[in-house]
Amino acid sequence: MGFPKRQAAIVGVYTTKQGKLPERTSFSLQLEAIRGALDDAGLTTADIDGLLPMAMTDHVPGTTAHQFWAEQLGERPLGLVEIGGASGQLAKAAAAIAAGLTDVAVLFFGRAGGRTGPGGTAAPQTRAPRVSDDWSFATAGGYMTSWYAMWARRYMHEFNVTHADLAEVAVFTRYHATLNPDSVMGRKGEITVEDVLASRYVCEPLHLLDCSIDNDGGYAVVIASAERATDCRKKPVWILGGAEAYYTDFYATINDPWFPNQGKAVRKATDRAFALAGISRDEIDVAGLYDCFTITTIRDLEEMGFCKLGEGADYVREGHLRLGGSMPANTDGGLLSNSHCGDPSGLHTIEVVRQLRGECGERQVPGARIGVSLQQGWAVHGMASTLIMAAD
Amino acid sequence: MTILDAAPAPYLKPLPEVRAENKPFFDALKNHQFVVPRCDDCGDYNWVPYPACRSCLSENLTWTPVSGDATVYTFTVCHRGPGAFNAEVPYVIALGELAEQPRPCLVLGNLVGTAPEDVHVGMPIQIAYQEIPGEDITMWRWIARP
Repeated sequence: MGFPKRQAAIVGVYTTKQGKLPERTSFSLQLEAIRGALDDAGLTTADIDGLLPMAMTDHVPGTTAHQFWAEQLGERPLGLVEIGGASGQLAKAAAAIAAGLTDVAVLFFGRAGGRTGPGGTAAPQTRAPRVSDDWSFATAGGYMTSWYAMWARRYMHEFNVTHADLAEVAVFTRYHATLNPDSVMGRKGEITVEDVLASRYVCEPLHLLDCSIDNDGGYAVVIASAERATDCRKKPVWILGGAEAYYTDFYATINDPWFPNQGKAVRKATDRAFALAGISRDEIDVAGLYDCFTITTIRDLEEMGFCKLGEGADYVREGHLRLGGSMPANTDGGLLSNSHCGDPSGLHTIEVVRQLRGECGERQVPGARIGVSLQQGWAVHGMASTLIMAAD
Repeated sequence: MTILDAAPAPYLKPLPEVRAENKPFFDALKNHQFVVPRCDDCGDYNWVPYPACRSCLSENLTWTPVSGDATVYTFTVCHRGPGAFNAEVPYVIALGELAEQPRPCLVLGNLVGTAPEDVHVGMPIQIAYQEIPGEDITMWRWIARP
């Protein structure tokens, strides 16, 4: 006797309002997202058998995540709890569904009142704080943007890429955001390369408009077995393949060349996901590419094998990712112009699902049938996961 | 070897917590030496310090002084900073690739004494030492190599 092999599908998605939400708590955003995604699927909280909390979701101090959610959601045992990061969790949940370990699982995240950037970090009044980060991330004044800035600087140096090349990423994602009424930045209108270059530097070479936004928000995704999916309210978006890979988070610990031809974690996860799905890169109609900074999108393309090493900026400039291009990406405006709500890595998957359902209105990719989402974990391609989805 | 003027008081930026496993490193800094764990078995230098050699997994590592000479592998000029760093913008964070090879070591630190617009990839730099007023610790900085 072996495990069964059952297909899994995404059957429900939901995003709360994204933006500054001072009246909300992280928990209330999470609960709204869970209930909203279940409602989208035509299911209720009683149908939940598995939970996929994003790593940063909080719960009552003194309880563990599994204990808190199993009790909070109606005091029932849960068939699967997998804590981690979005598309990797969905891939593992799909494998768990395939193997018969669970039937309906919900991925969720919500954050209110937190900030990812350096703003709001007050200086101490009297004494230097001591930190366990010995080798000088905190002690040198480093934070997330500085890591990506150093990554961008080295990349620009090796491949002769310019500030304007990076800016092109911010320009097309903002255009997409203007077509998404729920995006945080869309109402501010389109931007040009010159606008990006004229925005103030945060960490050179990254300008403010090279950086994702930093807002509140929540979201959830419901995944179910084929048997359950066929009874759901909307048409299923099938999971064809998915995988994750881990290498390292902060480049200070990597001494080998930063941009090897054979790629790193993103390449490993993406190669495996495509192999499982049994499709090729050129069959992708729509993509959600992790874009915490403009440099990230360019590197995503190279690592995922959509273009060669050093050609990511050309690929963007040729318009492939813009609506109307060969593989429109981040059609919601991405993390740069739609939302970065703390751990936004499920948002790309949600937008791809909406595209494959044909729900995207003005920004709909006509006839989109197969999509891919890339999630990246903590920083700089150290944790990566890729999910390939298709509509019937 | 360069010893910089002591940092101005009060020093409010984060400082490393000295623990048993990193104490030899910070003791050496006080003596104006930058030491890196070197593998007794294969000879490779390992930075950042890990419990075993990343080339051969040997646990036989010895804190070994290095020349302090390096080149800028990459850097950033920060125009916003967390906490007390925000009062010092723009400041430079640089990753210096140590002269010691074959396994390259990238060491992160603040590059001081050079105007941010003059910093570039490939620039020769070296480790310098700076006392921290009111604190029992010496820190390392990158400076331009003459």
